[in-house]
Amino acid sequence: MGELTGRVAAITGGTRGIGRAIAEAFLVEGCKVVINGTNADKGAQALAEIGRPDDVLFVKGDAKVREDCERVVDQAVEHFGRIDIMVNNAGGATNHAPVAQLTDEALDDALKWNLWSTFWCSRKAVNYMIPQGWGRIINISSVEGKCGKPGLSIYVIAKHAINGLTKSMAQEVGTLGITVNSLCPGVIETDIVKEQGPQAAEAMGITYEQLIEYFVEESSTKKVMEVEDVAAVAMLLASEAGAGITGSLISIDGGTAPY
Amino acid sequence: MGKLEGKVAAITGGTRSIGRAMADAFVAQGATVVINGRDPVKGQTALDEIGAPERTAFYAGDAAKQATVEGMIDFTIEKFGQLDIMVLNSGGVKNTAPVFMMTDEEWNLEIDWNLNHVFWGMRRALQHMIPRQSGRVIVTSSVEGKLGKPGISGYTTTKHAVNGLVKSAAREVGTLGITVNAILPGIIETDIVRETGPESAIAMGLESYDAMIGLFTKESSIKRPNKVEEVAAVAVLMASDAGKNITGCMFPVDGGTMPY
Repeated sequence: MGELTGRVAAITGGTRGIGRAIAEAFLVEGCKVVINGTNADKGAQALAEIGRPDDVLFVKGDAKVREDCERVVDQAVEHFGRIDIMVNNAGGATNHAPVAQLTDEALDDALKWNLWSTFWCSRKAVNYMIPQGWGRIINISSVEGKCGKPGLSIYVIAKHAINGLTKSMAQEVGTLGITVNSLCPGVIETDIVKEQGPQAAEAMGITYEQLIEYFVEESSTKKVMEVEDVAAVAMLLASEAGAGITGSLISIDGGTAPY
Repeated sequence: MGKLEGKVAAITGGTRSIGRAMADAFVAQGATVVINGRDPVKGQTALDEIGAPERTAFYAGDAAKQATVEGMIDFTIEKFGQLDIMVLNSGGVKNTAPVFMMTDEEWNLEIDWNLNHVFWGMRRALQHMIPRQSGRVIVTSSVEGKLGKPGISGYTTTKHAVNGLVKSAAREVGTLGITVNAILPGIIETDIVRETGPESAIAMGLESYDAMIGLFTKESSIKRPNKVEEVAAVAVLMASDAGKNITGCMFPVDGGTMPY
């Protein structure tokens, strides 16, 4: 009997990286899981690697599109009968630039990807959670949701905004058996960081290796995080013992953020 | 297979309430645990209730005294060969005078119990952990380590102070396989809160103990006190291998009270 037996989770993103690690940690504890991504091949590959066809559903969709976000939630309910845990994990940013040169489009895209997707999925999911009197919303924010880096403002803005949403929403549903929290990981060399990192570094006037080193140097552990570090905290929040933790911005950053 | 198999923990306080819930959770995950308290009778009762005589021990003494804190750590290492997890948990409200009436003596009681005890224990534990390149230090702080209430300035001051200590120490040992973290619980109706609560309530200008609990819960999002098990679950995570990259963290377990 796992800690999440009978529970159903939906995770935006989830074919790789942090979302995938959370999906696997939840599955070990008996949860049914919906994962999501824009690429059907990567979805199929993730399903094959996880190897639990009865317990996992892949829903193709773009987190930047409202209908796609809402479908991730609806599919969890249609396929597995309910939704208990919403993990708003999809996110990222491209076309970084210093504010002086930043385009409207770059900011808008980052907000869609990180903030709007979190809002759309949370709104949809909480409408299922309120009548059932139980729910967990877990937003994957970032150390950059508390701190800031030059050249990365679109990402920093979007992650700070998610933390604001977390705080307000937690108070709205605090007495209804629903918790809302943000996880704020330090840098992890996930596929998406490897893909987007070089352009982000360029906006900061440094190399990708220097970008990673920038984050590492600010930490106490002097190393990058691992996806499993984040998954373990997500697991705690999703469990019964997590009922008393809400509105929190939990740092998983090897001792970087000062608060 | 428990998450703390083969690990040895020491917990200041620990016969009751938060420390006890941590002891229970650690033992359930396979750890060996030394608990502490002033009263040997309560200590024996706790050991009996935990029911793992081979993997538990009690060390009697007042955690506000340096000899107790250091003696407990030395005892743990002597008896069980090592110390992997140091939980500096003892603490509470010692005086309730408003600042303009506070005496130095009253002030120092709180400093010794809530701050110096944590420093003494952390220093001794780190001296053992650094050569081993492995360890966990967990400090039971409080929501009042970030906020403040009238009439309990000694408590809020010392809880803020231990958070500073945690942040600095975490940076000192961050590359040595040792994490240092604080857990910041909201109000929990522990025995010690029930004992000291009525006086704290008066000092805060409230009519009753219930009104004080009401004030804390009103500030939260969940509108109820927290539970010791909720704190213990976070302690297990921090103490386990999965917690290796969480350090210098002010981990709230406050039902959505603090804004940061």
